[in-house]
Amino acid sequence: MIPQVDSHYCANCLENMPSSEARLKKNRCSSCFDCPSCFHTLSTRATLAQPRPAPEAGGGDAKVENKQPKKMYYLSCFNCRWTSRDVGIPDQPVASGGWPERSAPHAARVSQLLEHYRAVAQQEKQDKLERERKKFAIRGKYITLTDKTGLTGAVARSIAGLGDAGAGAALAGFAPAVPKEDVEGLPEDAFTKEVNLKQITSMPQRLASPEWQPVSVSRLHPLAKLLSVKRSQRCRACDHNLTKPEYNPGSIKFKIELLAYYHVPEVKIISCEMIKPGAKSTLLLKLANPTGHEMALQLLPAAPPPPPPHGETEAATEDKDDSIEKSLDKSLKLDKEPRWPHVEPPAILTRVTPPAVTLTLAPRDDAAEYDDDARHEPSHIILWRKSNKLALRLELTTDPAAVEGSPARTALTVEYSYRNTVPQSITASQNRDHTLYTTVYLDLGTVGSAGL
Amino acid sequence: MAHNIKILPGATVCEDCTLEGDITIGGGTVIHPRVTIIAEGGPIIIAEYCIIEEYSTIIHKKSDKQEDPPKPLFIGAHNVFEVGCRLESPCGHVGESNVFECKCFVGVNVKIGSGCVIGAACHLSAPQTLVDNTVVWGSEHHVREALEKQPSQLLQLDFLSKVMPNYHRLRKPNIHKRQPSSRQSLDSSPKP
Ligand SMILES: [Zn+2]
Ligand SMILES: [Zn+2]
Ligand SMILES: [Zn+2]
Repeated sequence: MIPQVDSHYCANCLENMPSSEARLKKNRCSSCFDCPSCFHTLSTRATLAQPRPAPEAGGGDAKVENKQPKKMYYLSCFNCRWTSRDVGIPDQPVASGGWPERSAPHAARVSQLLEHYRAVAQQEKQDKLERERKKFAIRGKYITLTDKTGLTGAVARSIAGLGDAGAGAALAGFAPAVPKEDVEGLPEDAFTKEVNLKQITSMPQRLASPEWQPVSVSRLHPLAKLLSVKRSQRCRACDHNLTKPEYNPGSIKFKIELLAYYHVPEVKIISCEMIKPGAKSTLLLKLANPTGHEMALQLLPAAPPPPPPHGETEAATEDKDDSIEKSLDKSLKLDKEPRWPHVEPPAILTRVTPPAVTLTLAPRDDAAEYDDDARHEPSHIILWRKSNKLALRLELTTDPAAVEGSPARTALTVEYSYRNTVPQSITASQNRDHTLYTTVYLDLGTVGSAGL
Repeated sequence: MAHNIKILPGATVCEDCTLEGDITIGGGTVIHPRVTIIAEGGPIIIAEYCIIEEYSTIIHKKSDKQEDPPKPLFIGAHNVFEVGCRLESPCGHVGESNVFECKCFVGVNVKIGSGCVIGAACHLSAPQTLVDNTVVWGSEHHVREALEKQPSQLLQLDFLSKVMPNYHRLRKPNIHKRQPSSRQSLDSSPKP
């Protein structure tokens, strides 16, 4: 999957901004701040400030008039109780913005460097273009359209002498850094003075503001809050969008949400007897059908899935009780991710005796959530059935070689029918029903002692 | 244990809390319901304008090398004990304007100055002294020094002392004037 940046927003004030603006603001929010001490979001607090009486101290009436309290604001961290007053930032008369900005000590140099590298990049581009043009000129004897009209921007600029002059000037005016031999020595008391750790900033605190890297806590300054991004995910193989969030930063919904959770049957452990070496135990499982179609299910012993009939393979590991499979939906014609890290399946010493029956799961029905009459079935496998869910009783056999205290794991493969609901215009003739396989690894705690 | 609870006028003390031993509660202090204050090793004196929130526990622990008569545990003014905090101390002195955040624990051998903040769920059990304006915070117990004392909670105290009587049964103040001079004058004055 390829993650892609969809939009930039501030997690605190939920302000959305296009990526160009975000880049301009160095990916930081202009109105929210993080605590420089603990990186928690700072809150704006209001106080009523009594304006100081005028120094000349006129008559009594003037003082009475001056007594009108004024609302003043400062920033405060609720986590570590850092306040903007701690470092001597004056309170502000407005609630948001207006905080004094510090200019970075090396801002000029940084912008100079930026300018320089931009010029270098431009120069290189130009050179490349020139080379290409020469090659072209040698190879073909026709005058190209661009040569004739100077249509492309770069060429136009080179003709006008603009690009060359600009880049050349920037390159010429650049003073490279000069290495120097002697650096200032450490102060006399560097090793003798007692260090007050409360006065010195920690490494994370320094690195949080790379422009200043304050050494002492009194130089800590509110950090403009870093922007967050909304991310969409795309298949690496076929460029399909798998997830795409809604643009509005306040929304947690998705525009596109193709998660296995909605397609692969859910397997949950209800309870399991203690796993003992060489013994049999009972495992209760709950299966749920998340799709809107009836699903035929069969449990098979864990094995590599049988060779798929139409090039379909499905292999996903599912942990104990969550259903966030990393499987991609093959029915959407996604090819198997070739660089998928191959995870060695855990050693299985506990085996499931799968029932040789095909189970049928009813489609998901949201309305059925409200009636809760679980139907008991006169079967030794199925405990109960309730709308799209059913509970199963399975028998586990543990290898006598299992070591006490080691993690007890078992695996089984679920074969299930899946109906593709995505309309496929190109492959309309293709079968809409598929049989897919998922291997589920179950973590059943630790192996107990055989004697118990 | 002999109970000797002294509540000064202006204090708001809920009935639904456990107070054991010799305890003095200063004026303006608010004690929420379900608070436990146990003075088993000696008296506890809580000064003015403290807030002691629900489920917080203050224990004056008994110790082997106790002096006789036992020294009181003195808790200065404007301290805030947030929900579920626990202070255990054999004796000594807690300064002013400290904040004991939710679920923090301050053990027996911790001396606390003034203006300190013990962060939520911070656990101080090693013998140590917190100098004035120390802030302890986070699961890793980071320490920093605040420039100024924590702002007082006078507005909150004012609000609580007005609202609490409407919703809780309160213990009545049982000590009248504190100044010895005024007490004398009260004693000598004929009763109306
Ligand atoms: Zn913001
Ligand atoms: Zn902070
Ligand atoms: Zn794909």
